[in-house]
Amino acid sequence: MASFERPIIWVHADCLTPTHPGLLAYPDAPAVFVFDEALLADWEISLKRVLFMYECLLEMPVTLLKGDVAAQVSAFARQHQADAIITSDSPSPRFREIVAKLRQSMPVTILEVDPFVDYDGHMDLGRFSRYWRTAEKYAFDVREP
Amino acid sequence: MSELQPLRREFASREDLIAYVTAQFPASAEIDSHASPIPGGRAAGLRALGAVDGAKYAATRNYLNGRVSRLSPYLRHGAVSLSEVRDHVVRRTPKRHESEKFVNELAWRDYWQRLYAKLGDGIWRDREPYKTGFRPADYADALPDDIMQGETSAACIDGFSRDLRETGYLHNHARMWMAAYVVHWRRVKWQAGARWFLTHLLDGDPASNNLSWQWVASTFSHKPYIFNRENLEKYTAGAYCRGCPLANNRRCPFDKTYEQLGAELFPNAPPEGR
Ligand SMILES: Cc1cc2nc3c(=O)[nH]c(=O)nc-3n(C[C@H](O)[C@H](O)[C@H](O)COP(=O)(O)OP(=O)(O)OC[C@H]3O[C@@H](n4cnc5c(N)ncnc54)[C@H](O)[C@@H]3O)c2cc1C
Repeated sequence: MASFERPIIWVHADCLTPTHPGLLAYPDAPAVFVFDEALLADWEISLKRVLFMYECLLEMPVTLLKGDVAAQVSAFARQHQADAIITSDSPSPRFREIVAKLRQSMPVTILEVDPFVDYDGHMDLGRFSRYWRTAEKYAFDVREP
Repeated sequence: MSELQPLRREFASREDLIAYVTAQFPASAEIDSHASPIPGGRAAGLRALGAVDGAKYAATRNYLNGRVSRLSPYLRHGAVSLSEVRDHVVRRTPKRHESEKFVNELAWRDYWQRLYAKLGDGIWRDREPYKTGFRPADYADALPDDIMQGETSAACIDGFSRDLRETGYLHNHARMWMAAYVVHWRRVKWQAGARWFLTHLLDGDPASNNLSWQWVASTFSHKPYIFNRENLEKYTAGAYCRGCPLANNRRCPFDKTYEQLGAELFPNAPPEGR
């Protein structure tokens, strides 16, 4: 992993845990979460969902903001004179778009969360049963504590 | 620097937090202002994990009062991870046949997430044609008000609607029944139901949710999923039927055999597809 002098951690809603890989790799780095107001409006997210995320975030050492995610994360990075942004992976297309915007001004490193199935080869995703034929071979492998 | 306005992190009580979040997110409160009794946070997720029992799970998971884990909101937001949940349960349940069902259900989430990485916003489009004998245009675009308000008169459907709005959680079986009712009995596009679920479910996840709706609808399975009263009554221990005005009036829309329901709901489908 490339190492940075003054990274910040951008936490998004797929990884609301104090064991976030970015927080573990850079325990002294400032971390930020931004409530995506456009997303909340587009998807008509009700209050209880916001509250649930908020309660997760209160267990994490992270500054809470709301508004436009890319703009707020960039502003937070400038405030801390950061040289890089560290985040965790997500399959969401919106995540990709935000990363692309952030990369216009700064390197962004995406860390993996522990995979459920530790296998990088081909997976047939046509139906669950076909996926499971491969996944089953790895799904019961427990990592050392 | 003054452009950043951090939200508060210190609260005297949960009520204090709820009042603050309501004030900061008025649009979300306008949509629905309930606060779920299910608490957020990794600590709460680990408590739920500690209570998982693989063998009891396998035996009772289809029942509404069965020993399901209720880990989904924590998994959805990564407060606990799929791999650590698997590790914990497999380690504590050395007999493979006792942890098998639970690990298999966890794998559904992994599967949907992998598909999401591949399909992106394509999860909002029909993956395949409906196998119901109807075209997409035959389905309504909007979810009827009586379903959203819990005023259909069917005690089960109204109860699920209320739980969804008030707690943000539904048992898997209730989700399947609700989705089948919306799509097949009311002939509404699955996308409308999926959006409604994402508004309310604490575990609302575009991949797990939309692809499950598509599975019920038959746009991602070989036939539509339907249920009948006998099935619902069994897995709910009769809790809804007992006080239901429709059940007692013999107007229950689910009180039929699967053959009757197939013929009524899907008159244009070839019999083998029903
Ligand atoms: C119409 C419909 C919509 C759904 N929408 C969602 C959703 O938005 N988010 C969501 O996480 N699940 C969704 N599911 C899947 C499933 O209903 C929930 O994951 C499950 O009911 C959550 O309760 P639990 O944690 O007690 O599950 P358990 O039975 O205890 O299972 C343990 C974990 O495995 C995973 N899991 C189990 N079954 C499934 C499944 N079929 N698909 C995906 N993951 C599964 C969940 O993460 C769950 O927390 C939906 C199912 C249907 C039929």
